[in-house]
Amino acid sequence: MKNDIQNVRNIGISAHIDAGKTTLTERILYYTRRIHAIHDVKGKDGVGATMDFMELEKERGITITSAATYCEWQDHKINIIDTPGHVDFTIEVERSLRVLDGGILVLCSVGGVQSQSITVDQQMARYKVPCIAFINKCDRSGANPLRVIDQLKEKLGHNAVAVQIPIGLEADFNGVVDLVSMKAIYFDGNSGEHVRIEDLPQDLLSEAITKREELIDAASIFSDELTEAALEDKVTEDLLIAAIRKATITREMTPVFMGSAYKNKGIQPLLDAVTKLLPCPSDVENQALDMNNDEASVSLSSDPVKPLVALAFKLEDGPYGQLTYIRVYQGALSRGDTILNVRTGKKVKVGRVVRIHADQMEDIELIPAGYIGALFGIDCASGDTFVIPGISLTMTSMHVPDPVISLAIVPKDNKAGNNMSKALARFTKEDPTFKTYVSDETGDTIISGMGELHLEVYIERMRREYNAEVTTGAPRVAYRETITRMAEFNYIHKKQTGGAGQFGRVAGYMEPVAGEDFVFENKITGGAIPTQFIPSCEKSFRKCLAKGPLMEFPITGIRVVINDGQSHSVDSSDMAFRAAARGAFLEGYAKAKPVIHEPIMKVVVETPTEFQGAVMGSLNQRRGMIVGTQDEGRMCVIEAQVPLADMFGYSTVLRSATQGKAQFTMEFANYRQVPQAITEELAKKAAEEKKNVA
Amino acid sequence: MLKKDFILRNPLRLMGHETEEILTEGEFGAVLARAGVGKTAFLVQLALNNMLRNKNVLHISLDDPVKKVSLWYEDLFQNIANKYNVKEADQLWETILPHRFIMTFKIEGFSVPKLTERLTDLTEQGIFFPQMILIDGLPFDETVRKPLSGLKVLAKNHSIHVWFAVRIHRHEKPDQDGMPLPLSQIADLFEVAIQLQPIEKEIHVKALKGGTAPSDHPALLLDPSTMLIKDTTGNIY
Repeated sequence: MKNDIQNVRNIGISAHIDAGKTTLTERILYYTRRIHAIHDVKGKDGVGATMDFMELEKERGITITSAATYCEWQDHKINIIDTPGHVDFTIEVERSLRVLDGGILVLCSVGGVQSQSITVDQQMARYKVPCIAFINKCDRSGANPLRVIDQLKEKLGHNAVAVQIPIGLEADFNGVVDLVSMKAIYFDGNSGEHVRIEDLPQDLLSEAITKREELIDAASIFSDELTEAALEDKVTEDLLIAAIRKATITREMTPVFMGSAYKNKGIQPLLDAVTKLLPCPSDVENQALDMNNDEASVSLSSDPVKPLVALAFKLEDGPYGQLTYIRVYQGALSRGDTILNVRTGKKVKVGRVVRIHADQMEDIELIPAGYIGALFGIDCASGDTFVIPGISLTMTSMHVPDPVISLAIVPKDNKAGNNMSKALARFTKEDPTFKTYVSDETGDTIISGMGELHLEVYIERMRREYNAEVTTGAPRVAYRETITRMAEFNYIHKKQTGGAGQFGRVAGYMEPVAGEDFVFENKITGGAIPTQFIPSCEKSFRKCLAKGPLMEFPITGIRVVINDGQSHSVDSSDMAFRAAARGAFLEGYAKAKPVIHEPIMKVVVETPTEFQGAVMGSLNQRRGMIVGTQDEGRMCVIEAQVPLADMFGYSTVLRSATQGKAQFTMEFANYRQVPQAITEELAKKAAEEKKNVA
Repeated sequence: MLKKDFILRNPLRLMGHETEEILTEGEFGAVLARAGVGKTAFLVQLALNNMLRNKNVLHISLDDPVKKVSLWYEDLFQNIANKYNVKEADQLWETILPHRFIMTFKIEGFSVPKLTERLTDLTEQGIFFPQMILIDGLPFDETVRKPLSGLKVLAKNHSIHVWFAVRIHRHEKPDQDGMPLPLSQIADLFEVAIQLQPIEKEIHVKALKGGTAPSDHPALLLDPSTMLIKDTTGNIY
């Protein structure tokens, strides 16, 4: 294995669903000779694209798991993470971005910058991933790459600069003009494998010259050498590429390439760009946290000789046991090494080390710094850091949102029950946004996640991969209770029914607090409540939060202050104060105008203009508040805030309202108070359920 | 701080508009200024004022995407809330938000028939009934009389009044009546015209047409740092 880190690229391919990223990856693998035939995503040949290897993905034509794959191009080793495009699986995207050094932002030349591209772009910005853009589908009718470049500038704020211009468009799309070399590039052969470089066609000469000047202008800001060369009219290819690379790595410029993955055009120049413009692992500074030094951040260097720091960013359950995708940031990870899981403190011995290519793999001896690989038989959770024993660095933790929807699942039979447990254990390890627990009241297993589709996919996976047939209850929204005003409490708990008595008085007030779930403050002076009983009070208040008195939803956004109380030298105990605090809580809560809050989703629908009215109507019917509509010629974008409770089954409604021509994305926005009428409905439902359980 | 307190700060009261409505049904108002002086900020404050009085505002932007327009509202509301130390600003914000609807068009894609169609979509389905429209980014060139006349009919039919942001240019001299060039030929369509004029470090709010400030009132300014309307004594409105 050649280990020149300068020649390593860890890249991701991110885009809006259906922008064609899986097709693009497929073509990249074909041209880098990792696969020998091309299959489509929605494979008519029944094989399906290589990256979408989970059966379910093949069926739905979407990418769920971000499989890592490896290929080589022009002596460069490229690790590609295929990232899912649907917003329900955003954690997968974020996790992939964490381990990437660079990205290709794929945009559709017809659809342009769509809502999901905006989300993905924000994520790229959060992890400071430099990227190049690829405008795909230039062969489609309505293709307009220049408009997409404008959108990149306007909507995403990128300093997007064309490095190519198309030769023909739509059905006449033939190839691209490379503005760096000023040559026309055509793609011959059945699968576009023969790259033919020719002189510029005369009709494109003046456009190419103008665009090249724009490119040089944009790049010269980042290189004095290039500026001088431009003034003297002596711009060389190397100078120009160096300047573009410099600006790309610092995220100050987004070079734009174009082509059509489906028609096998423009992929090889894109691969050249990956090797020439995107950073190698040593160009990127990665930080870890030192657990021994108050989590101070430490810079890592991609030196294979230094102590090992590696991150497990993805788990998969394969036929040979758990497969852990790992990125080594520092040092090297070899077969037979003993490594330490920083989170659990457990030491593990490394067994097989492999390099992954979608669902095939090859055994390797070691993964050096900067590389991505996979380990077998390592028990860990996704996001765990591995180091050599003796140091305790951890990679920064990733932002994990709280689940907003839950669902009760019941296995069909005993065998399914066992398989379901196995599946759930695996899924929760793989995906931090997927959670599961057993309900105390009903004894049902509850799963919760980031959206309807998110949970649906896991249920399907349970059935297919684990042979666990389950029936599901209706999805439940994660409602919350909170208070809206300050209220005082003063409660005495007194019990004298023979045996030891119980006595405790707790007084104070509660009030709403923004941005926190629970704040407890002890303002007792003069020992009105003895110090040893304060934790009992806090614990009791905290326990009350799990199930609100109003409708048994968790309570958030509350600050409880105790400032007075009373105790008895004999009858006061931990138990007495717990009971007193509970009484105090209930007393205060009832006076504090409690309300129910529900999760509100930001829903963005992109639809052809003729369906705009119908789409707005459908959102309005779902208690949606339409924030605005954005007219973009033939398409328009409608942005609305809709309660999650009313979004179930929306994809079907939208499909039928728009002849399947619209698409939508949905992400959690905030919690908002439920209107009175709905609260009453919820109360009625809760009462009914209680009756049924009883 | 409640809605009522905000409403009392209606800045245009000081320009001689003592009644709640500056414009009545079918009337046009214009806010004129050079690029970057604060036309949008001024319009958004007019809109916020209406939203606080439970009046529905349709904000049409031909320049900016929905996200950017929303940001204007959020920023200005936050600035006002901060200035007055409003504790439950979030709650207030959520109660006024349903009174706003943003529509954005490409300049070349905007036309009165198209707007009429959109408006019908909204009203027929009972989604939104605007009582005031703001139009930001409409080019006031020599062809503007036609769309404006169409809008006038639309405004009358829907009982709406309309405010426009009008960009003026440094090199263009106002006409004899002091009316800046873009408006001079079409001033008859407008009932109110207000100009924002940067003088040294301050931005002055000057009534060009309709409404004269009583002499005992201090002049109005736009604070360049917060973009809020204030008077010369420093009181923010």
